[in-house]
Amino acid sequence: MKIFILIAISIFLVSCAIEPEPLVFGKDQCHTCKMTLMDKKFGAEIVTKKGKVYKFDDVNCLFNFYHAGTVDKNDVQHKLVIDFSSPGKLIDAGKAFFLKSSEIKSPMASQVAAFEAPPNELKAQWEATELTWDDLQHQFH
Amino acid sequence: MKAFTFIFTFLAGILVANATTFQVGSAAVPNLKKAITLAVDGDTIIIPPGVYKEGNIIIEKSITIIGRGFPVLDGENKYEILTLHGRNISIQGIHFRNTGIAGLNDIAAIKILDSHHIRIIGNKFEKTFFGIYLANSKHSWIENNELTSRGTVESQSGNGIHLWKCEHITINENTISGHRDGIYFEFVTNSMITNNHSQANIRYGLHFMFSHNNEYLYNQFVNNGAGVAVMYTKNVKMIGNHFEENWGSSAYGLLLKEIQDSEVRQNYFRKNTIGIHLESVSRTHFEGNTFNENGYAVRLQASSDDNVFTKNNFSANTFDMATNGSLVSNKINSNYWDKYQGYDLNKDGVGDIAFHPVSMFAMIVERIPAAVLLWRSFLVMLIDRAERAIPVITPEQLKDEFPSMKAYDLTEKSR
Repeated sequence: MKIFILIAISIFLVSCAIEPEPLVFGKDQCHTCKMTLMDKKFGAEIVTKKGKVYKFDDVNCLFNFYHAGTVDKNDVQHKLVIDFSSPGKLIDAGKAFFLKSSEIKSPMASQVAAFEAPPNELKAQWEATELTWDDLQHQFH
Repeated sequence: MKAFTFIFTFLAGILVANATTFQVGSAAVPNLKKAITLAVDGDTIIIPPGVYKEGNIIIEKSITIIGRGFPVLDGENKYEILTLHGRNISIQGIHFRNTGIAGLNDIAAIKILDSHHIRIIGNKFEKTFFGIYLANSKHSWIENNELTSRGTVESQSGNGIHLWKCEHITINENTISGHRDGIYFEFVTNSMITNNHSQANIRYGLHFMFSHNNEYLYNQFVNNGAGVAVMYTKNVKMIGNHFEENWGSSAYGLLLKEIQDSEVRQNYFRKNTIGIHLESVSRTHFEGNTFNENGYAVRLQASSDDNVFTKNNFSANTFDMATNGSLVSNKINSNYWDKYQGYDLNKDGVGDIAFHPVSMFAMIVERIPAAVLLWRSFLVMLIDRAERAIPVITPEQLKDEFPSMKAYDLTEKSR
């Protein structure tokens, strides 16, 4: 009986876990601009507390949606961005390092790339400005 | 004027007198790189048939390079083949193949940077990452090229003809397949895209953003992953193009997003999941288009306004029109609808009662996509009839008040 309860609880917990979903390049569509995601170096995702997943091809598309009020900011469970240096990998946007430079040709021309580790080398190479999530929030308003 | 003629003849004389032609393969000119080193402005280099592996070749002189019998320039899956940086450069009759593939740098068979008056004419491109890539360039011609790549969704792939920050470019009679986007424009203005055939590209046959005042005439976009996407642009003319066989959950014949003051005329939309999808499109004129055998012919999002749809033919589409809102300030008059069941008592060729192109079932499917399962069921037909008589959920304002009784003759007019 105990095992049953345990299984029941574990199934319950698993089915309720609100997890980010990987971006499927070549198939998923950006929620804002409707473009099919293609460039694995760029992309972003918002997961709400109810588990609804919104996918984006560029950070400006994410902010477009984020500020539009369709989803209340308090209801956002995960904010994720793709790590430029490991294509396809989603990382926590709050902790990510962002670079902005005209050298960065992102899908929707935001000129922003995100990184998990401090991108010092590329920053110098692109003569880029380093930004945080909070800076970006104000930039793309 | 005389002085001008004199100077002109004089200059022309100098050019003709001094122009040299180099034949690659002779003792003095063993390879293409050597020929380019020897050449001066105005010279011509001829490449005989053969396979040449010379890595990356940079051209900064105003020269013409002509391939005889399609000599192959092979990038050995490592290199960008030609990098052009200059003016008055022509490249003709060369077969480019096997460029390198890189995630960070956009490696191309021919990359053109900060240049003008460049002619890329009658070349072949095979297994290239990007085919022809132009950045910060103007007054150039890309004509009669054939580009094929073998990109897949999983692998990284580049665009066939890629333009970034360019103006006054002519792209004519090229054939493009197997790339990410067949033709890609970002920040390109005052350009002509004519008679191209873009087929079986992974994402879009044609894709452009922030590219104002361009004309797209008589191109064919067939069976591309997601059709054609046109976004964030003003003053576009799309005339006489074919959008065909773009099937898939997010595939459109033509996706229009944030477009203003544009024209879409005499195009042909056949067998697309969605013929045209409009989102935030304003003041755009749709006339003389044919919509045939599409899932949705036109999907009009409520954020679009002041558009005109007139004299289009709608036939054999599952849904002629769908919308997600009720109040739509668009004019939809004098079209031909094969689903029109009205009458014409005064025989003036115009139906006497209005036609509502948005069926009730289209509205339901818009809200509950799974409901499409019930399509063609008896109940749906009944409700649709009832709704036609007394509209409840379909937008009342969205109607064609002068539906044509006969299809318009839109057979391709002489160009």
